[in-house]
Amino acid sequence: MLHRRIYQFFIIYFLGIATLFLIKYVLNLSDYVIPSPLEIWQTSQSVFIRYFFNVVDTLTVAILGHLLSICLATIVGILGRLTLWVGSFIRVAAYNIQAYPIVAVAPIIFILLGDGLSSRLLITAMICYFPLLLSFIGILSEPVTEIEHFYEATLRMNWRLQVRIRAFENVNKITTVIVGSGTLAMVGTIVSEFIAANAGIGHSIRMALYQSDLAKILVALFLIGICTSLYLVCLEALGQVVQKRLQGAS
Amino acid sequence: MLLEFKDISYQYPGSTNEVFKNLSCKISTPGFHALFGPSGVGKTTLAKMMTGGVKDYSGDISTSGIRQILYTYNLERLPGWSSVRDHLQTTTPDSGKDQIDDLVDAFGLAECMQSRFARLSLGQQNRTNLARYLLQDFDLLIMDESLANVDEITKEKIILMMKTIFPDRCFLYISHSVAEVAKFCRQILVLRGKHKNPQTVALLGQDYRDDKALINKDLEQTMLEIVNAA
Repeated sequence: MLHRRIYQFFIIYFLGIATLFLIKYVLNLSDYVIPSPLEIWQTSQSVFIRYFFNVVDTLTVAILGHLLSICLATIVGILGRLTLWVGSFIRVAAYNIQAYPIVAVAPIIFILLGDGLSSRLLITAMICYFPLLLSFIGILSEPVTEIEHFYEATLRMNWRLQVRIRAFENVNKITTVIVGSGTLAMVGTIVSEFIAANAGIGHSIRMALYQSDLAKILVALFLIGICTSLYLVCLEALGQVVQKRLQGAS
Repeated sequence: MLLEFKDISYQYPGSTNEVFKNLSCKISTPGFHALFGPSGVGKTTLAKMMTGGVKDYSGDISTSGIRQILYTYNLERLPGWSSVRDHLQTTTPDSGKDQIDDLVDAFGLAECMQSRFARLSLGQQNRTNLARYLLQDFDLLIMDESLANVDEITKEKIILMMKTIFPDRCFLYISHSVAEVAKFCRQILVLRGKHKNPQTVALLGQDYRDDKALINKDLEQTMLEIVNAA
């Protein structure tokens, strides 16, 4: 699983680099626009360690934001499954609010909370929260009649059991959605750092952009790709362990 | 009278066709009874009316001496997070705990107890599902094709055992098998569709049980009556 993801990333990354060099040499662009392979190599040697720790910083915030969004989506999903007006209101609100781009709201968050950890965390959580929420509401609102009927008929049904049944029956979907939103968490953190934060790899990319230093950006992209792949592999492995334990061996 | 339907009329929401039009029938005694009829005639709908699953009908359904009605069907599943034994232990009320082992043996489920429901064959799944309903407190159990995919010998053993253990309870068995309902049921309500009048015909079955011999000639006669009525 790990080697396949890393392998896939290498193919895409080096195809992108090759395309850049192709454009550079076909259009005869200067090293200022697209740096030479030697310059990229020299830049990577000088910034690799600093960028590596920046990516680790970003990944840490992404994981925290991801966890926060999963918790939020679970709570709101549980409330949204209600057949009362509260559930209906939450479902409609979730569908409408998710259509609003979070990046557009991000400056307000930075103005109110500053450019520290809390802003990055909040924007990350918000960016991966809505896709999770829509899936969770869909899963938790959909009755599993062939299992729930017995508990309804014998008056044993309560909200915890209902949520447990629906989550268990859709554990594959939930795992897929959580793994999928892992990428969004990383994207959200980088976007927030790029907009206004004072740390993380997004911040480093912004600095490199101000210097028009494409070599630094390419090194940053390489590290982001590797770290995101590692995180997704960990999530997939965790999902498989959870599924195996839930479904049991017998 | 135990259960009576009087002038029941019903049409599905959004449909102009009536499933039932002034349907009337009754079940007078406890025991093993059948609801028989071709597919789509409304057997499941009638069953759901009894349990409150279908409400917006006209007419009256009255019961006497029946407090708890349960409805079970053959597509039901047990949750997959625990073994069959754990599930039966946690869902059986205290009054039924003593019967778990007897039912498990009689239903031939001993070897399935440690397994998860999804790992069982269709026949084992249906037997397990029926067993957990029998362990509940009920006065009337509606069994909608609950013994589908169960072999004939085991099916007979199960039905005879149910009659022995629960002589005072009422069972309404929904099945498409003429031979089964003719052989095992006391009263057979044949649903005939809204274009026929009357819409139901009540017949007497052979009510075969351990202490009552089965006469083949009478069984054939009952089967003929059911086929003619349907």
